[in-house]
Amino acid sequence: MNIIKKHNKNARFKTISIVLASILLCACDVLLQSETDPNGIVYCSEGSPASFNPQLDTSGTTVDASSHQIYDRLIDFDPVTGDVVPALATSWLVSNDGKTYTFQLRQQVPFHQTETFKPSRFFNADDVLFSIDRWRLINHPYHDISGGRYPYTDSLNLGSLITKVERINGYRVEITLNKPESSFLANLATDFAVILSAEYADKLISRNQKELIDYQPIGTGPYQLANFRQDRYIRYTKHPKYWRQIELTDKLIFDITSSSSLRLAKLLTGECDAIALPAHSELEVIRQQDDLVLDEKPGLNIGFWAFNTSKPPFNNPEVRRALGMAIDKNALIEAIYFNSAIAAKNIVPPTSWAFQADVRSLSYNPIAAKNLLREQGVPEDFSMTVWAMPVQRAYNPNAMKMAELIKAYLLEVGIQVNIISYEWSTFRERLTEGLHDSVLIGWSADNGDPDNFYRPLLSCAAIESGTNRAMWCSEEYDLLINKALQYTDIGERTYFYGKANELLAEQLPLIPIAHASRYQAHRKELDGLVINPYGGVRFGGVKKL
Amino acid sequence: MVNVLLRYLNLVVVTLFILSLLSFLLAYLFPGQAVENLTGLRLDELSTLQNNQLKYAIDDNVFVQYWYYMGELFAGNWGVSFSSGLPLYEDIGHYLPASIELSAYALFLSFFIGLPLGFLAALQHHKLTDYGLLSVSLLGYSIPVFWLALIMILGFSLQLGWFPLSGRLSLIFEIPSITGFILVDILLSDSIDKQSALIDALRHLILPTLSIAIVTTTLILRITRRSVIETLNSEFILAAYARGLTPRQVLMRHGVRNALIPIWPLLAMQFPTLLTNAMIVESIFSWPGIGNWLIQAIYQQDYPAIRAGMLAVSVLVVIFTMSIDLTIRLTDPRRRRVGRAAI
Amino acid sequence: MPQSSLYQEEHHPSPLQYTWLEFKNNHIAVAGLFCFVFFLTITIFCPLLAPFDPNVQQIGDLLIPPAWDPNGGISHLFGTDALGRDLLSRIIYGCRMTFGISLLLVLVAMLLGVGLGGVAGMSRGFRSSFLNHTLDSIQAIPTLLIAIIIIAILGPGLVNSMWAIALALIPQFVHQTRDFVRHELSKEYIMAAKLDGASNTHIFFHSILPNMGEMLVVQATLALSVSILDISALGFLKLGAQAPSSELGAMLLEGIEVAYIAPWIIALPGGALFLMMISINLVGDGLRSALRNRLLH
Repeated sequence: MNIIKKHNKNARFKTISIVLASILLCACDVLLQSETDPNGIVYCSEGSPASFNPQLDTSGTTVDASSHQIYDRLIDFDPVTGDVVPALATSWLVSNDGKTYTFQLRQQVPFHQTETFKPSRFFNADDVLFSIDRWRLINHPYHDISGGRYPYTDSLNLGSLITKVERINGYRVEITLNKPESSFLANLATDFAVILSAEYADKLISRNQKELIDYQPIGTGPYQLANFRQDRYIRYTKHPKYWRQIELTDKLIFDITSSSSLRLAKLLTGECDAIALPAHSELEVIRQQDDLVLDEKPGLNIGFWAFNTSKPPFNNPEVRRALGMAIDKNALIEAIYFNSAIAAKNIVPPTSWAFQADVRSLSYNPIAAKNLLREQGVPEDFSMTVWAMPVQRAYNPNAMKMAELIKAYLLEVGIQVNIISYEWSTFRERLTEGLHDSVLIGWSADNGDPDNFYRPLLSCAAIESGTNRAMWCSEEYDLLINKALQYTDIGERTYFYGKANELLAEQLPLIPIAHASRYQAHRKELDGLVINPYGGVRFGGVKKL
Repeated sequence: MVNVLLRYLNLVVVTLFILSLLSFLLAYLFPGQAVENLTGLRLDELSTLQNNQLKYAIDDNVFVQYWYYMGELFAGNWGVSFSSGLPLYEDIGHYLPASIELSAYALFLSFFIGLPLGFLAALQHHKLTDYGLLSVSLLGYSIPVFWLALIMILGFSLQLGWFPLSGRLSLIFEIPSITGFILVDILLSDSIDKQSALIDALRHLILPTLSIAIVTTTLILRITRRSVIETLNSEFILAAYARGLTPRQVLMRHGVRNALIPIWPLLAMQFPTLLTNAMIVESIFSWPGIGNWLIQAIYQQDYPAIRAGMLAVSVLVVIFTMSIDLTIRLTDPRRRRVGRAAI
Repeated sequence: MPQSSLYQEEHHPSPLQYTWLEFKNNHIAVAGLFCFVFFLTITIFCPLLAPFDPNVQQIGDLLIPPAWDPNGGISHLFGTDALGRDLLSRIIYGCRMTFGISLLLVLVAMLLGVGLGGVAGMSRGFRSSFLNHTLDSIQAIPTLLIAIIIIAILGPGLVNSMWAIALALIPQFVHQTRDFVRHELSKEYIMAAKLDGASNTHIFFHSILPNMGEMLVVQATLALSVSILDISALGFLKLGAQAPSSELGAMLLEGIEVAYIAPWIIALPGGALFLMMISINLVGDGLRSALRNRLLH
């Protein structure tokens, strides 16, 4: 009896284990197959946007998440040629004196429709007026919403440049400037000149929820915001009635992944279809993978080391020169950019026509640097701070590491360095307050016009708007770059920018370090994703094969 | 019986009171304004708020403030996060289940593997199997869990491409959060691609669960082994043999149950370790759990979040350990209090 | 010993000797002990052993693979990291930091823990039950959570994380000491001492403490492994030792960035940590079974 029972038990045990094993095998089979959903694109971005309105923030993260996904502009840059091409404006006219611009607007362009907002009309001149007046007029009802700072337009003084924006009829708008400015059209095509919905703004006023305009945005762009979780993801759905006849996927997802190695890892495993800012150290890995594509373009950017010129001893150009001589730029470039960047001479990259190859540049000479420092009264064991931005940017993929290398260099000339870093938004806030001695940061151009480097980076007005990290204000320099804008002829403008370059080489408010190439990595299945040299990533027209 | 229950209830209430007091005091210990740390709102935002009881308590003394604080806690109003501005109560309700889920699966897996192996090792005491299992388990609990997770990612995700390495569900799937437990939520949802979502969720689960489970399994193995060996050496086992029972009968009738009894409380003591490992693993696998969330909160100096998160996790741990303690007390009258793990 | 004894004398090894004899028979544990001594040596003499300064960046030598790799060189035995720092030197210094600091923390925690545990064990009534309850609640909270809270108050950093870990280690020493003291108090030799009129302090220091040594060593090995894991985990989570430091956990975190192109930067420091843990656990295991065997015989 006992034996039979035992036998039965054994048999049962066997059956159970066979069943279990087969389930496990099947499960493994199913689990190991990774399938991707063709109806959604996952893009691994590097951070959370501050808002969904690029007018409010020059950071690339905000621009990527909003500018080309949610919104359209009056005019666009052609990503290949760099020419200005029609977008929401079908055509435009510039008056002979260069002061009046007239835009003919596109008809039957619908805005996004969400649960809380159903647009009753198509896009028209009112929306253009609203979008420009918001940052231009200080007493505009929306001017002070979300902080009331418009870094890009403020740094270029566009508000005072424009004297009026007029509605001629529903589909025609006229903008008048107080002086001719050759870069104006380019500025309207940048990522920051987006068109918001005036009707939505009115509705929000009546609901007393004005601040939602930047967080639950409505635009005309290819994708509309579905939901956003800080530091985790942004979900977009396709704008079903988008005016351009281009390919759109049902879902677009930004998977917010702050670490670049994790982004690469996710790209390798197929959890992301495309990633933002691949680390320069990892480019080789991406090139070696058959199922990944790496796009490369010379970048319109500059990574630099700016000194806070409002603080002694950094207000002394000779001290700045000595510090500049103490570091070996080429070694930095090799270590940080892995040779995917070129050493910078001017603040504009060589692809720009304002670039000057023959400008005086500093060479690495620690002994001369040390002597110069002592001459200028900087004592041995002087201690200074180097602020390193906590995020990766194309222009500086690893500021922390660069700061550590600089620390080692400066130790050789008898300077102690404290490296300081904060969370990104705090970091920028404190920079604007001028609490730093020096900072490793940079700039990516938003349009092809060199003015986009010269003015936001070093003009006096840019101190106030928070893009002049050197806190450097020179009347001579401002005069030069303003002069350059009054001419449309490139030859004449080059002359003034050349003068400005010389001034910068002499004064050195910042040490230009590198112009990095721009990279974009995506999986082979993703079709149509191109590098946009003038700013943010675009997913309109991208599809999965 | 009622007496014991009452004593435990008393203990739980006192402990929870101490924890709430601690979390209140944290707001004062953290840098910045206590009121800001309690509510998550900046002072200028506070002054614009109308119906916030805490606001009225700002100028009162600490005891009144604590009273209001408790009131808000029970009302589910735990303040908002500095960094995201979202209500903490909902945030924690979202992240805590993810951690519990991960830990629960890992614990289950560890039991599933660790208990039988522990028995096996004990029965083969001083034989090759025993030594083998013991050595492997020594390796298992010596391995730093974050390193193990990294190696697993390098091997299984990047080299072999078998499993995804981050999150708990591909973002492509949109599953509404009902219970907070992803597998349950998927089953409850009426999404069209339920099946592929389920498979995707399982694929995400495997590596983090394994990373945590390996350490816990080795601990369970050792605890079980020790307990079984000690039980088998005790006199009543000898007595059972003396009565002429076969080894199998001795083990089944006397060994197993008596060996298992002392194991439970020891395992309860492993719960904090398990949770610690889960918190580390979460941050490596970007698992949207409470550990990852707390660590992010420190990076961002989000004091209200740390305060609320600490309270939630410690309350969870206290309730869990206390209820295990109580169960043991009620089922095994011999035990007086939870002992320490011997491995 | 050439001198032969006339009388057949039975040799009784002292308990300590007996434990050592038992321990010696366990070859794996002895191997663990050698490993342990090896790490101890590294910790003490590390400036002499490290071939390079761990923080000097040789910008020409970035990411050189270890010597056994075809692309590696003999000058950097373990290769270099992304900043051109010699990995072997960094690991040696890292062992010193991780191991040495953990050792220090365990000693501190043991001193405080035994003190508190002694008080808790010797006292009765409200004071004892208050201590017991507080301890139980603290022990229920995961170490990492305690550390997170302390670090949130004090800010991240190695020293702050040391405070956190020391604080988290104390309860188990208190617990063990208290249980031990309680247990011993019921024994007869204590009763004898009491009858001789010894005070509580006298009993603790002269009667109980000498018997606690082995228990404490075993506890210390447990605490050491916990402490090493915690300190490196905190370093890894960017809450403890910060980036340029050569603490092993912090090194691992730095290595992740280049993990795919330079896997040795993750493998080697992690391996060192693993080996350290194995050796400590082997010694701890060996000691425990030696003690157990001694008590059995």
